Parts: sequence; C-alpha cells; structure tokens
Amino acid sequence: MSGHILEIRHLSKTFGTHAVLKDIDFTVDQGDVTSIIGASGSGKSTLLRCINLLETPTTGEILYHGKDVSKQNPSKYRAKVGMVFQSFNLFNNMTVLANCMIGQQKVSKIGREEARSKAIHYLNKVGMAPYINARPDQISGGQKQRVAIARALAMEPEVLLFDEPTSALDPEMVGEVLEVMKALAKDRMTMLVVTHEMAFARDVSTHVVYMADGVIEEEGDPKKIFTNPENLRTREFLKRILNG
Amino acid sequence: MFNQLFSDIGILWAKYGHVYLTGIANTLILAVTATVIGCVIGFFCGILQTIPYGLNDFFLKKFLLRLLRIVIRVYVEVFRGTPMILQAVFIYYGMPYFFGVTFKNIWTVSILVVSINTGAYMAESVRGGIMSIDVGQFEGAKAIGMNHWQTMLYVILPQTLRNIMPQIGNNYIINVKDTSVMFIIGFSDFFAVHKMVSGAVFKYFPSAFLEMGGYLILTLAASFLLRKLEKKLAGRSDYELVNLDQLVMTAGTYSLPRDATSPFDETNRDYKGETK
Repeated sequence: MSGHILEIRHLSKTFGTHAVLKDIDFTVDQGDVTSIIGASGSGKSTLLRCINLLETPTTGEILYHGKDVSKQNPSKYRAKVGMVFQSFNLFNNMTVLANCMIGQQKVSKIGREEARSKAIHYLNKVGMAPYINARPDQISGGQKQRVAIARALAMEPEVLLFDEPTSALDPEMVGEVLEVMKALAKDRMTMLVVTHEMAFARDVSTHVVYMADGVIEEEGDPKKIFTNPENLRTREFLKRILNG
Repeated sequence: MFNQLFSDIGILWAKYGHVYLTGIANTLILAVTATVIGCVIGFFCGILQTIPYGLNDFFLKKFLLRLLRIVIRVYVEVFRGTPMILQAVFIYYGMPYFFGVTFKNIWTVSILVVSINTGAYMAESVRGGIMSIDVGQFEGAKAIGMNHWQTMLYVILPQTLRNIMPQIGNNYIINVKDTSVMFIIGFSDFFAVHKMVSGAVFKYFPSAFLEMGGYLILTLAASFLLRKLEKKLAGRSDYELVNLDQLVMTAGTYSLPRDATSPFDETNRDYKGETK
C-alpha cells in the first residue's frame, strides 16, 4: 500500500442518469507513465478530471499516499498533482514567465527571485526560455502547451496529469510536445496521460489502461497490450486506430 | 444672433466663471470617486457571487452562500430599479429616521448614494464579464492549486477588467451627467450652478449653452482617456526573444532536488547560472 502515490478505488461518476465512470480501480506508483487510451466518450478525461478534483466523484475514493483526497485541502493537493489541459489554459493576462511564477509565488509562497529562477529553469527544459516576455496569444499551440507543461512542472508536482495534451494541436506541432513528454518520462516523472497518440502509449509509457464505456477493459504492460491484447474490445479498438 | 449669445456668455463667464468652474470640479470629483468606489463594489459582488459550492459541501456553507447571492441580487434589483434622485432622498432623509444619523457633510452622502447606485450596475457588468471568461482559465488556476480568491484576483478579474472597460466608461459618463440629480439634497454640482446663475441673471439659454459645452468637454475627455487606458491594458503587441545567457540566474536561490529519484536533476547540473 505504501508505495502507491495514487489509488483509485471503486470510482464512479454519473452526470444525471448517464454513468460516465463505473467502478474504476487502478493505482499509480512512483515513476509510472500510465497511458489511458480508448474511444472518445469512454470517460478517460472525466477520470482525469476526477483525479484533479475538477469533477466530484459520485461514489468511490481517490487516495493520495493512502489518504482520501476529498478530505484534504484541494489547493494543497492540486499543487502536488499537476495538470496539463487539452486547451492549454494559460493565463491570458500574463506573460509566459508570469504564468510559470504565479503558482509558485501565491500557492507555494516562494520568493520572487527563486520563483523566477525555477520558472526559467523549467521553461528552458521545454525549450521556451527565450519566450519569457511573450503573451499566450503571441505563441503557437505547441509552444503554449510546452509553456503549460513548464507551468505545471514549476510547482514541482509529484504526479503530472495530461488530458489529451496534443489533441488541439496542428499535426506539425504534436512532435515538439511529445518530445518534451518523452524527456519527462526518461527523467522518471510520474505521469498519467490520456492520449490518442498510440505511438506514445506503446513506446514511452510503462503502463497502459484501455477504457471503454466508463470501465477499464484491460490494463497492463504496453508491449503486451499492443501486440497481444486479451480483451476483444481492446483488440478491435487497436486494430481500428492503428490501421486507420 | 450668435453675437448676442456669445456676448451674453462672455458676461456670464466674467461674473460667474469661477462658480461654473467650481461646479465642474465638484461634478468631476463626485463622478470619479463614485465610479471608482462603485467599481470596487461591483468587483466585490462579482467575487462573492461566484464562490462555488458543491452538493457535498457543509450545509451552513451552502446556506450562507445562497443567502449571499440573494442579498446581492436584491441590492442590484433595488438600486438599479429605482431613480437615483429618490435614493438620495431616501438615504439623506431616511437615515435620521432609522438610525438617528444626520449627514453633516453633503459630500459624504452624495458619494455614498452615487457609489451604491453605480455599484449595482457594475455588479451586473462584472458578473457578465466573469461569465465571458473561458472556463479553462478557472481550471488552469485551480490546477496549480489556487483557491477562489487567488483565482479571481490574479487571473479572472484582470481579464474581466479589460473586457468591461467600455461598461466602466459608460457608467462614468452616466455619472458625470446624472450626478446633477444630487441637487435634490443640496449638492452644488455643475448643473446646480446653472440653476443658481440663470435664476440670478435671467440668462437661461446662454447659461444652458455653456453647460452643454462643459458637459460635452467632460465626457469627451473621459472617452479619450478611457480609450488610452484600454490600449494600455491590452499590452504590447510585440515581444522580444531573450537570449538565455542574459537571463539573470541568482546563484544559490535554486535548490537542487532533495533526492536522487526526483526527476529534475540532469539539466540542472549543466545549467550555467550566472549572476549579472
């Protein structure tokens, strides 16, 4: 039990009468890169949003280091579990640098100089340090997403959640974001990635979760899932998406 | 015809110029102060109205937040739905009845009335402004651990302010003109000067002409300044790329990760932090 960073236990979420997540169970350990794959509407993003408390689970619990997150201060928890969104969600009223500093200064109460150094450090990591004075509407989608990753990293989280980080990008910009994520995976950052990038799921992640209609149909080692899936639905999904 | 008019205005100005100017100053001070305070009230209502609560929250919290929203709603509807001239009378003559408070200073009560009235309009403008902000901005702020106040103060309201600048301008211009109703409780604004002067010298039209010009100058100047402010809030349209060597890296402020398993230890080591 003690090794798990995150444990999802019997998590369900219903919107009205529509059950989006049904009895989800899985764990995330230190250094895991878990890819959640599945068709649109299978509940992948909702699962991730539940984990970051942007949605309240209907039943079940999420444990962070063995403690129920619904009983913790959400701000403190979120500072440790970062999130990268499909639509970047950079703060439009701030420069790239300020985007990466504000959380450190206001949430972690870090001094200005240190926050600035850290922000530049992580922006450099994603190759965006030269753009510190730009505002979000002045840079490309791929650049925005890299800044968003730097913003999340600047909080020095234990886990980073990615909600379809490349889905809103033009095809030529997908690569630069995936490269950054690959580098993070190599650094043993713990990541939970909802993605349609099958190559990333297969080659980079250490663990793959396949979801369909709000349940986990299959999970395990990416090599096994991609070469020899046990579940019929997994097989069909992968056949459709890899040959399509 | 015009000669007559201008000579009349000349006579008026020579004799009462300073009175007109005092009136303009009073109007300006009242309008600016009340608009600023009204904006603060509006933004405050905006923050309070949008405090989120979920189904799982404690009963008392839900109750208080709902009550708060109702109170703000009532405030907005009452002060938006009644004439300011009556509000002034109500507060000026009502306070002594209920609380035994009499206003010694006409400025206090005038600023109070116009501020509260402006606040009611601004509360709605701010609410609209907040609603127009993409939900992703809220989620982005929450995701790095900001609470409601921090989210509002650093992310949402600065963007809201920019979006509602035209409405703030509207309110200010309305205030410049509508503060004239404060004559009902004896506030001597620009328009009150007209009543006084024209009553004394029976030059109604020349005085009205002067007033018209004066009000127009006040509002046009406001429009001009607001445009400038809007442009300033929009920020620079360009940016400069920064060479990494030029970035000031204060030595010793960046601490290495605590343990070796922590993921960010490689680039950090070969990062040549330089102090300027």
